Formats: sequence, structure tokens, C-alpha cells
Amino acid sequence: MSAIATTATIMRYAFRAGLADYRSMYTWKSWLAGWFVRVLAQVSFFALIGERISSDERATFYLLVGNALAVAAVTGVFSLNATSSERWAGTLPLLVASPSSPVIVFGSRGSYAALDGTVSAVSALFVAGPLFGMDLPWPRVLLVVPLTALVAYSCYCFGTFLAGVVFRFRNINSFVVLTSYMTIMAVCGVNVPLTYYPEALEWISRFMPLTNGLLAIRGVFEGDAASAILGDAALEAAVAIGWMTAALLSFNQFASRGRRDGSLDYGA
Amino acid sequence: MHGYLAGLKLEARLIRAQPDSLIPLVTAPLFTIIFLAIVRESGRYDLQPDALMAPVLIALWWVALQHAGQIITHDRWQALLESIVAAPTSLASLLFGRVTTVMCLGLVSFLEVWAIGAVFFDVSLRFEHPLELVLILVCTAFATAGASLAFAALFVMTRNAYTFTNSAGFPLYLLSGVFVPVAVLPGWIHPVSSAIFMSWSADLLRASVRPAPIDQFWGRLGMVVLLGVISFVIGRFVLIYVLRRMRMTGELATA
Amino acid sequence: MEAVEVEEVTRVFEPRRRGSTRVVALDSVSLTIPTGEIHGLLGPNGAGKTTLVKILSTVLLPTSGRARVLGHDVVDETQAVRPLIGIVFGGERGLYWRLTGRQNLEYWGALYKLSSRQTKARARELLERVGLADKADQRVEEYSRGMKQRLHLARGLMGDGRVLFLDEPTTGMDPLAAREFRTLIGELRGEGRTILLATHDMAEAEAVCDRVTLIDRGKIIATESPRTLGHLLTRFQRIDVEGAPEAVLEEIRTMDGVTNVAAVDGAGVRIEVDAEGVTQLVLERLVAAGVTSVRTGLPSLEEVYVQLIGERGMEL
Repeated sequence: MSAIATTATIMRYAFRAGLADYRSMYTWKSWLAGWFVRVLAQVSFFALIGERISSDERATFYLLVGNALAVAAVTGVFSLNATSSERWAGTLPLLVASPSSPVIVFGSRGSYAALDGTVSAVSALFVAGPLFGMDLPWPRVLLVVPLTALVAYSCYCFGTFLAGVVFRFRNINSFVVLTSYMTIMAVCGVNVPLTYYPEALEWISRFMPLTNGLLAIRGVFEGDAASAILGDAALEAAVAIGWMTAALLSFNQFASRGRRDGSLDYGA
Repeated sequence: MHGYLAGLKLEARLIRAQPDSLIPLVTAPLFTIIFLAIVRESGRYDLQPDALMAPVLIALWWVALQHAGQIITHDRWQALLESIVAAPTSLASLLFGRVTTVMCLGLVSFLEVWAIGAVFFDVSLRFEHPLELVLILVCTAFATAGASLAFAALFVMTRNAYTFTNSAGFPLYLLSGVFVPVAVLPGWIHPVSSAIFMSWSADLLRASVRPAPIDQFWGRLGMVVLLGVISFVIGRFVLIYVLRRMRMTGELATA
Repeated sequence: MEAVEVEEVTRVFEPRRRGSTRVVALDSVSLTIPTGEIHGLLGPNGAGKTTLVKILSTVLLPTSGRARVLGHDVVDETQAVRPLIGIVFGGERGLYWRLTGRQNLEYWGALYKLSSRQTKARARELLERVGLADKADQRVEEYSRGMKQRLHLARGLMGDGRVLFLDEPTTGMDPLAAREFRTLIGELRGEGRTILLATHDMAEAEAVCDRVTLIDRGKIIATESPRTLGHLLTRFQRIDVEGAPEAVLEEIRTMDGVTNVAAVDGAGVRIEVDAEGVTQLVLERLVAAGVTSVRTGLPSLEEVYVQLIGERGMEL
């Protein structure tokens, strides 16, 4: 098989492995009754804050859209658990010893999260939106779907990078998951415009996942020019690539060093 | 009493040994920043006290669901439950002691939130009703402890409590009006919300940091306490039932 | 008053999932242990040893039958039983990993209603006794398997129980530690405690116990003194040999006490004996014939049981 075909095969299997893990946690029913109810509750929670703070419905919609997309951030960051599970499951040395690059597995293990994030966020938007009286301008609103997928993927790339951080330490998964996605919610334009924060912070947030993609999606709802939307989407794509590259480099360095100093072990 | 104190001490030691337990002390400030940003950006400075109280209530829910509620489940996974049951101390009093420590952790978030508001956002909470505030916090912590006991007993019975605890947060924040008062929610939610002690606590807490006198204070506080007691009773009975059933089926230990 | 009385105890586990079967873990088991005795419960994995220990320590209810510890019923009088017993379940889990050894013991002391001062003193003493004094303030997650086992032992003794239930307490211990453990058991007996020791290690049972109950598949096979067990061990030895001339084997076949001489697929010949002292004679004969590839072995527990039942059948 050519290198590309091999890589694609590995990615497919890694994706399936992650999906299988996820399926052991959720069935369709429990996904809907458990996870999706939570998603809707989160979006509604903030949308209701919007209704409380202002009679202008734009405040509500601002919070609604932001928090629907924040769901993609939650799933993306949460994927670090799946990605980093190799570390303590004792399979890491086996991966490193295999003929394929462990980096590819590492980069694809949690990729189901991008799919989950897209479905969750889009569903939240299209369910909660009309519930709060939000106008979904057809057919332009369909652009939201690929843009959400981009954001979900970008968040997943960030989650993968975080997995590389978590790899190196014990027992900090929950801490990293919660702090990361709440930081994203705080500074990436989810609840307040970027201009609310000091310029330096705004600049930093542009390098975070979600920020640029969310601007693009807001642009779709506000009828912005296509060039502006595409520009923000391109930035989001660049951010995604950047985080995934950093993740893969970090993991490669970890595996190499592990081979040298014997820190790759079979289990906890 | 012995069991209560033993549980209190154990949990304090476990929290010190386990950084994960301190997560609510990290998320509370982040929620504070988020909520304050929302209200300030929209010019609603009058809602700043609400923005500060919400993270405290969220922290209490978090410790109830994710921490206290998991105590028995974790002990069971760790093959500790059998030895504990075989000891001459009541599991319920042990659990209550551990949960009390966890609640104190939750209440620390109040100090954090107050400090952050004052230092970074120049928001000073006005303690117009200091005694009432203390009572509300104590009674809310008590009621949350009761809910935790009920959760702990229920979760050990169910196979997939994990999915529930992960998903229950925001629905509970919504239903208990931690930021947006229940009165503003659709009418059909009100009966459900009224059965949740936190909705009464949330209203009282918001009222306690405002100058106006607190309407029907004792009655509403009484509801918090009553609902807390009911949670305790439910928790106690479920625990007895669950332990008896596990002794019958041999499920005190996992396979 | 006996320390432990078990009367016709049966424990059945009903299938919890589709496809799993009903398991009779204990089948009308009866047993009496006088105060001050060290009693072994010997059987292979799955024999029902742990089930019996759990019933006696009040964490499992019997399906039928009665059991009493120091005169108190284990089902109806749990509050009376629990302060009187100590349990060592053992294994990798069963301890708070994030706490130190000392902190774990102090917690158990509190559960057994000791005062703070008593708890600290006893923890110190027990850590010393099990050889963990210098590791006392290290987290349990850093302990080796053997160290965890020793901590389990210390934990079981925190409550100063009059009756101790030890379930496979030397699993994971190195031979030296296991030997020290046996010394400890002797000390505990000297303190007047009654001990029920569940194990699958015949040699251990023989070394430490006053009497041993053999259990298999939920049924009690016999209760014997270790002496008898010892005889069984040496009586039913087998000798595996390779390269022995057929003539020599024929001669051995006719020796008194040799019950069987049979080829084993691809691994030479197995000679089975059933009398003491015969092994030595057989070995001498083989060595004299210049055979050097010889290995002796002990029978499996199952084989001993079978022999035992067979013998009893003959003895009536």
C-alpha cells in the first residue's frame, strides 16, 4: 500500500476505535436523553441570560449562537481523554513499536469528537434557535454546517494538542478539560465580542480554536460579505492546522524521548 | 459521631492528596469572569450580584454531582466498600462526614468569587443582610449535602451514572435558576423548579446581596431546609436498601 | 462458646445477565472453630473460600443456613459481630492509593472507634510489626504488591479483632515476607485470637494451622490436621523420569507402594506412589540404574481430594 493509503487506513481504524469507545458510553437514546439534553440546556441557559439582560433579541441570539458553537469546543477538548487514553492503557509502547507511525494514530484517535461536535452544535443551533424565535435565513444558513464542522475539527486539533500535554503528567485530565473549554468560553467571543477584552487578549484569542470560525458563522447570520466570511474561515483552518502540527510534533518528541530514556511504559 | 468525624478527616486528606477535587475552585472564577463580562458588556451593572452568586451555586451542584455523589461508587471500584461495611461504623455517618468536607470546599468558592469580583472587576458585594446570607449559605450547603447523599446512594445502583453526572449539570443550573430566576422561566417549569431546593436558595442569595428587605425570608429558608431534609431521608433509605441488596446479591465488590 | 459456628450454610448466586449460569458457591457447609484456633480453609480458586469469609464477616448474606461469630448471628446481629472481627481481603485494591500507609491505617482505626491517640499508637505499632515503618508516610500508590499486602494485614489488625479472617493474605508476598507472616500468625495466636485463614497454598496451611478444612466447589471435603495433610503430600508424590530402561521400570512397577507407572506423551514416564518412604526407594533404584533425568512433584489439590474421598470411601 502506498504511504497515503496506509495513513488513510490507519486514520480510519483509529477513528473507528475512538467511535467504539464513545459508543460504549452512549447509545442513540442516551446520547439524546443525556448529552443532547445537556447541550440544549447549556444553550438555553445562556440564551435566557440574554433575554434577562436586554429586551433586544440580538443579545439573546448572540449568546445562543456563541454557546451552540461552544458545544463543539466541549467535545473537541473532551477528546483529549480518548487520545491520551493510550498513555495509561499500556498500549503506547506497542504503538511505538509498530511499523506505522504512532503519530498518525495519536492524531486520529479522538477524531470522532469532530463529528460529534459538529452534529451537537448544528443540532443545538437548529433546535434552540427557533425555540427562542431566532430567524434562520434559508438557504444561507446551510453554510453554518460546514463552518461548524471546521470549528469542531479545529477544537479537536486543540484537544489533541492538550492530550500531548496531559500525556506527560498523571491525573490532570479533568482539570485540563474544564479549564480549557471554559477559557475558550470566556475569551473566544462566545459570550461577549472580542472587543470587550484588552487588545492583547483579543490578539491571543485569534490563535485559539473557535474564535475565527465563530466570527464567520455570526457573519452568515448577519449577512456579511462572502469575502469576510471566507477570510475568517481560512483563519480558522490555519489555526486548526497549527494546533494539529504542534500536537504531532509534541507527540513525536515525546515518543522519541521515551525510546531513548525508557519512559514509555506498559501501564500506570 | 465517630464515623462522621472519621469521614470528615478522610475527605480532607483525600482532597489534599488529589488535585482534581479542587476543580470547582478553578471553574468558579472562570464562570465569574464569563457572567460578569456578559452583564457588564450589556451595561446591566445591576445584575452584577447575580453574576457573582451563580458561580457559587454552580460550584455546589458540581461538588454534589461529580464529587460527593461519586464517593460510594469510587469506594466500590476500589474494593473498599466491603471492608467499610464490615466495620462497626455506619456508612451513612461516614458518608455524611465526607460530604460535609466536600460542601465546605464548595463554599470556599463564595470567598473566591467575592475576591475576584472585588479585585479584578471592582465589584463590591454589598452585605446588606449578613446574617441572612450566612444562614442561606449554611442551609444551602446542608441541603446540597442531602442531595449528594441521595445521589451517592442512587449512583452506586446504576451502571451508567457517569453519563448522568456529565449531562445533569446545565439542566440543573437551568431548572434551579442559578442565574436567571425561575420566575422568568416558562410556567410549566415552575412546579419542577420548586421541588429543587437550589431554586429557593438562588432567589434568597440574590435577595441577600441587595438592599431591599428579603421577602418571606424564614418561609423560603424553611423550604431550603425542608427539601434538604427530604433529600437526606431519601438518601438514607436508598442507601439502606442498596446496601442490603448488595449484601444479598454479593455486589458490594465489583467483579 | 465457639469462635465460629457455621450450620448448613448455602450461598447461591443467581445469574445477573443473560447467558450466565446459577452458581452454588457454598453447599450446606458446616464448620466449627473453637476459640484460639488457627483454622485453615484450603481449596482451589472458586472453591467457595472467599464466599464463606464474606458471609462470616457480614458483607454477604447466606441464601440459607446460619452462622455465628462469638455467639452472634452474622445476619441479624451485625452490630455485635463487626467490632469483634478483623478482615484481610488483600489484593491490589482495598486501600486509598492517594493516602499514605499511615493515613490509611488511621482511617481504619477511626472506623473501629479508636480514639485519636489510640489510633496513632496502634498504627505506629502495626506498621513496625509488618515491616512498613520506614514506608509509612509514602503514598500507597508507590507501594509494591507485597507492601500493599502487608498494609492490608496491618489494616485488618487495627480493630484488634478477637476473630480474624484472612483471605489469601500472602498473595504477592515474596517467600521471606511470607515466612515472616507465618511468625506473625503464631504471635497472634499467642494473643488468644482465633484465625480463619483461607488459602490455596497447601504448604502454608500445613505450616501455620491447627486444623485445615478442605473445600472444593462449595462443599467441605474434610477437616484434617496438618499432620495428615503432610502425610498426604509425601504419600502421593509422583516421580517423572526420562530415559529409564524398560527393565528398571518393570521392577519399579512391582514395588510395594507404587500405584502406577505410565508413559506421559512426549515427556517420559510418570511413577505414582501412595505410601511414605516409597519415593526414596524408587529414586535410589533409578539413580543406581544411571538415570539422571528425574523430577519429583506433589499432587494437585484435586488429586489429593480424589484420593482422600476414595480412601474415605474405603474406610467408611
